[in-house]
Amino acid sequence: MKYLSKRNLLIVLIAAATAYFYSKDGSVTTSVVSTATSFALPLALAAMVGIMCERTGIVNIGIEGTLLTSAFVAFFVSSLTSNILLGLAASIAVGSLLGLLLAVMAVTWKMDQIIAGTIINILATGLTSFLYVQGRTIPSTFPEYDIPKLMNLPFFGPVLFMHGPLFYFGLFVILSLYVALFKTTWGLRSRAVGEHPSSADTAGVSVARLRYINVAIAGAIGGLTGSFLSLELVGSFERGFTAGKGFTALALMIFGRWNPLGALAAAMMFGMTQAYANQLMIDQVIQIPTQFIGVLPYILTIIVLAISAGKVRPPAAEGQPYEKADA
Amino acid sequence: MLKRITATAAALAIATIGFSAPAQAVAKPDCSKAKFKIGVVTDLGKVDDKSFNQSAWDGAKDGAKNISGGCATYIETTDSKDYAKNMALFGDAKYNVIVTVGYLMQDASAIAALKYPKIKFIGVDQNNSSTAANMTGLIFEEDKSGFLAGYLAGYLTKTNKVGGVLAAKEVPPVYRYGQGYINGVAYAAKEQKKTIKTSVVYHEVGATMFNDSPWGATTAGQLLSQGYDVIFGAGGGTGNGALAKVATKKGMLCIGVDTDQWFTVPEAHPCLVTSAMKSLVSGVSDLIGLAQSGWSGGEYIGDAAIAPYHDLASKVPAAVQAKVNAITPKVLDGTVKTGVK
Repeated sequence: MKYLSKRNLLIVLIAAATAYFYSKDGSVTTSVVSTATSFALPLALAAMVGIMCERTGIVNIGIEGTLLTSAFVAFFVSSLTSNILLGLAASIAVGSLLGLLLAVMAVTWKMDQIIAGTIINILATGLTSFLYVQGRTIPSTFPEYDIPKLMNLPFFGPVLFMHGPLFYFGLFVILSLYVALFKTTWGLRSRAVGEHPSSADTAGVSVARLRYINVAIAGAIGGLTGSFLSLELVGSFERGFTAGKGFTALALMIFGRWNPLGALAAAMMFGMTQAYANQLMIDQVIQIPTQFIGVLPYILTIIVLAISAGKVRPPAAEGQPYEKADA
Repeated sequence: MLKRITATAAALAIATIGFSAPAQAVAKPDCSKAKFKIGVVTDLGKVDDKSFNQSAWDGAKDGAKNISGGCATYIETTDSKDYAKNMALFGDAKYNVIVTVGYLMQDASAIAALKYPKIKFIGVDQNNSSTAANMTGLIFEEDKSGFLAGYLAGYLTKTNKVGGVLAAKEVPPVYRYGQGYINGVAYAAKEQKKTIKTSVVYHEVGATMFNDSPWGATTAGQLLSQGYDVIFGAGGGTGNGALAKVATKKGMLCIGVDTDQWFTVPEAHPCLVTSAMKSLVSGVSDLIGLAQSGWSGGEYIGDAAIAPYHDLASKVPAAVQAKVNAITPKVLDGTVKTGVK
């Protein structure tokens, strides 16, 4: 009975539906699911930023700003140095710095964390708009790397093994984060700090230090996400380039119950609905208004949430600065 | 307590930098002492957006140059709630001409024109529903340039599948581009007596519809993976994202929008065969000239066209170039109907 949860039922349903469509038209279904993974990966990675922070008790609504700034830095450093690896490195560095900025505001200054995140968003919009110059290009995007042998698998080849290096790395980060959070000492301590910081403190964990480290790592993941967007997925940068992905990621984090795999699944579902919405327009199979197709991803999200989510509980100490009790 | 106050002050200071920062990457002239003042209010977008707002701004600068004592400056709108406020900044400063850029400002412009009867309003992409004589709507027949782009695409496709990645259908100019494109492909298909599949994907309507490059790129990737080999990208950053994506796939072709994007989206050079244009620059500058003398209000129809092939001319066979040259005047004068209302 343990495996008959609503969530597993949903996964089986989605898999069955995909298998059905695949049997009807293999190449289009493969294209749709592979597009869905491209939609999903940046959202899932951005959700990791949120999970890393909130699991240790810091609310980060500045994900959007982190993505925007790092996508900007990735693009312009790549363009100025003609080296996309330097662009990637710079964006990860800037992402971590923004993480540290959040940590300074939230942990050291004990500021309201919503305000702290908002500051990062405003700063990002302002700076990237101000410093933006048009007409620059990067030497190339991170090229697609098809993994030998695996790429020849039907369906799974194009869906999972025909992407760029940052895609694979991003997926690796998500899976590692799951293992790290739930199977390592660091993960246990991080979660303890997010749930009950005073107990963690009593047990000898430095709450402030762990929060600093985790928020900085989260920022670095945000930097990677920005690089993925501007150096691999698109190959350019425009003002307002991230178009709200950082906020969608927050919703996916909650939807995925602050669990990296949950958020990945949620992002994949969102990506699937977007790709299918596109496909409905590509095929013009049915004459339904595009407005309706446009809202499909959101309606489906609501339905799935209603079926599968159940009770969702955030980390208990989220958003609260930790004040050591006086001895 | 003191610590918190310092923290809040520091935070505010940082926020202020953020707020004041969207200052000008593009120099903003000071027109306060000029004889003939022209103010441009952009739509949600910047004067260097590589397409729509930039062309309108270039047109205003050209127009100002042709007038003695002419001076043009601009305000970038960052929130659609600010349209009226931004127009009022120029209105209260007694500007001679206010150029409002974008279909979304249509209603706000009509209201402002009544409020400032002495100022001439040029509403770019706006149907003129106002009775005010000081208001002129500058409109374009995007369906004509979309049709020409589609006609060309219909002759260039090798897989007989052509696609489009556009901003929201609810924005009339975007719809006219898209529908014109579809009908242009169909016209070319009929001439060649073959079947060509045309698929146009629109972004959902909303605040991000003109700057969602990742969506544009991913959606273009979806079309490419299904064998579409000519893709029309139209709608600010959303369309530019599609162009950038197509450029990374060898041998694929893309078509830009609004201006000749060869000059504004260099990353698209490997694929950009043409752009479906509307002559915003000459339209705005002509109307500014008319504002000084010969103004008639109502609606003014600007020119539509497609851009030169530039480096990709070799990809367009001479016979196809001849066909496009032959049909262009017919589409523009209406002999060949685009089929878009």
